Amino acid sequence: MAASMRLLFRRVIRLSHRNVNVTAAGAPGRPAGCWEPPSCRCFSEAAGDRSTHFGFETVPETEKAKRVYKVFENVAQKYDTMNDAMSLGVHRLWKDTLLHVMHPQRGVRLLDVAGGTGDIAFRFLEYVRFQQERQKRRAARSMQAPSWQDISNNYSTEEEDGAQESRAVVCDINKEMLRVGKQKADGLGISAGLSWVVGDAEELPFDDDQFDIYTIAFGIRNVTHIDQALQEALRVLKPGGRFMCLEFSKVTNPVLARLYDAYSFQMIPVLGEVIAGDWKSYQYLVESIRKFPDQEEFKDMIEDAGFYSVKYSNLTGGVVALHSGFKL
Amino acid sequence: MAALLRALRVGRALRGLGSVVSAPAAQPPCSSLTRGFHRAALRLQDESKADKPPSSSPSSTPYHEHYRAHSAEQEAAGAPQEHSASEPAAEEASRPNTSYQDQSGEQGEEYETEEQLQARILTAGLEFIPLHGWTVEAIAAGAEMLGLSSASTGMFYNGAGDLVLHFVSQCNSQLTDILAEQHNQIQLGQAEPKKPAEFLRDAVEIRLRMYIPYIETWPQAMSILLLPHNIPDSLKHLSTLVDDMWYYAGDRSTDMNWYTKRAALTGIYNTTELVMLQDSSSDFQDTWDFLDNRIQDVVNMATTAKQVQATGETVVQGLMGAAVTLKNLTGLNQRR
Repeated sequence: MAASMRLLFRRVIRLSHRNVNVTAAGAPGRPAGCWEPPSCRCFSEAAGDRSTHFGFETVPETEKAKRVYKVFENVAQKYDTMNDAMSLGVHRLWKDTLLHVMHPQRGVRLLDVAGGTGDIAFRFLEYVRFQQERQKRRAARSMQAPSWQDISNNYSTEEEDGAQESRAVVCDINKEMLRVGKQKADGLGISAGLSWVVGDAEELPFDDDQFDIYTIAFGIRNVTHIDQALQEALRVLKPGGRFMCLEFSKVTNPVLARLYDAYSFQMIPVLGEVIAGDWKSYQYLVESIRKFPDQEEFKDMIEDAGFYSVKYSNLTGGVVALHSGFKL
Repeated sequence: MAALLRALRVGRALRGLGSVVSAPAAQPPCSSLTRGFHRAALRLQDESKADKPPSSSPSSTPYHEHYRAHSAEQEAAGAPQEHSASEPAAEEASRPNTSYQDQSGEQGEEYETEEQLQARILTAGLEFIPLHGWTVEAIAAGAEMLGLSSASTGMFYNGAGDLVLHFVSQCNSQLTDILAEQHNQIQLGQAEPKKPAEFLRDAVEIRLRMYIPYIETWPQAMSILLLPHNIPDSLKHLSTLVDDMWYYAGDRSTDMNWYTKRAALTGIYNTTELVMLQDSSSDFQDTWDFLDNRIQDVVNMATTAKQVQATGETVVQGLMGAAVTLKNLTGLNQRR
């Protein structure tokens, strides 16, 4: 009863938010009719042809998911190469930073949504494995001359380690991306504790309270209804679980912003054409970055969904923002 | 400003008396200004909640309440009392407004603030310190004991430092409560007032005894406190501790003595703590003997300083007298 009341309450707040924010210049990220005045929205909602942005285009909401799917289907094979080319390899540092901030403990379950080619999941498994090895080494060093009591204790604790294994689940709506990811995993020889699931971020195929950490790296701007994705994240996280989102955001420094804009619109589609043979997908990519809400607005959206202790930090001067919230 | 916020609190309580259904309609749309307001209100409510336990306990006195309120105000002006977590401003907006407060000042389980939850996690983590040491793993074990995922340790951006600082501030407030209780006893005439030296000796012993359960791992905690980014906080805790001890010992000085007294007690406290780390006698008797000797040293030093001053004055007077006598003898003083 209280939960449904809270949901109703949140929806009321969100609607009032929309009424307040609709006049704000360039308020993207609100999927329902941000270009229409409030009075018309009620009618268009009833009529069922809400529209949203697809890059700088305006498309009906039902179309957007399909077009995003096609984009990623086209780029899946060359996705990693293009990431390296476009960001000059810096995207690896961003993902490493995400893992460092996450600092996963033993036995946590990770859900990587829009994980596609599995970058975050691989790094997660490696981090956890490294931590475990370091702890084992430390324990071994402190037990240079173990008594027979210690040795017998060790035998019993080794069995517990099996239950403490960390697990990562990579979820993506796009089968092509998952296929590429699985190939990569086979190539790297990582298979333990990793699963690949097809699913929609707005409607995850998992039960409530399943995961300790939910990450979405460079995927949430492609979701049609971001608030639904956030609510799903809240649902599948355990109490105390952490939501982490890595996403392109607004550059704070004006000089850097000009350079970044020039680079994005002039260089990236060209690189896309040359390397992947697909100009339009990468045009969509840079446009979708511009349509995504800025750091503060996204932080408010996360708080509205019900997360607490929401913080964000800018990486590379605001090119990428790392948002983190907790389900408490 | 305070009156305005009190009115806000009253308004919230009144609204809480109404039904849950009417609450959403009554909630104003949240602009950032309202958010900031709510944030400040929440913080002050935290302060008032923190004030409530002392005032409800029987040990408070007029001095104590004033002192507490004053220090609470100072802290409210600066950083929040516990940890620098961002205020859940949205928490105010998105919850139905049934704020029910019981006598202890704590609202129901659902309405606990982030800082209270963080304090609970850290307190739970203290139990796992013998096993994991002062580390993030201990906090994770504490969170799991409370039923939260170990990912919630991400809230503690200072990691083990948060755990140690929380423990230190917990010990300090326990000590203040004990000292206030003793003060109250003296006020009521149920106990004899102690001399400052004896009072300080007992206070330092009580405070150091709180470390006994963690004495194995305390060197690790001390090294964490000495990390550069933790030094401001650890110094703050140390200085408030020493200040409290002298305050309850009866010191009301307003001159240079204020500084010298606290410096002396800081030295005594730190050296005794270090001695305690490597003490292996039963019930740390060696440490308490060391403490006795140091306090005695300081008392002797004070007496000696007074004696030296008195002697010095006397010597100077004697020399002046001798000089005048000489001048008389040599006839320099005679006027021609």
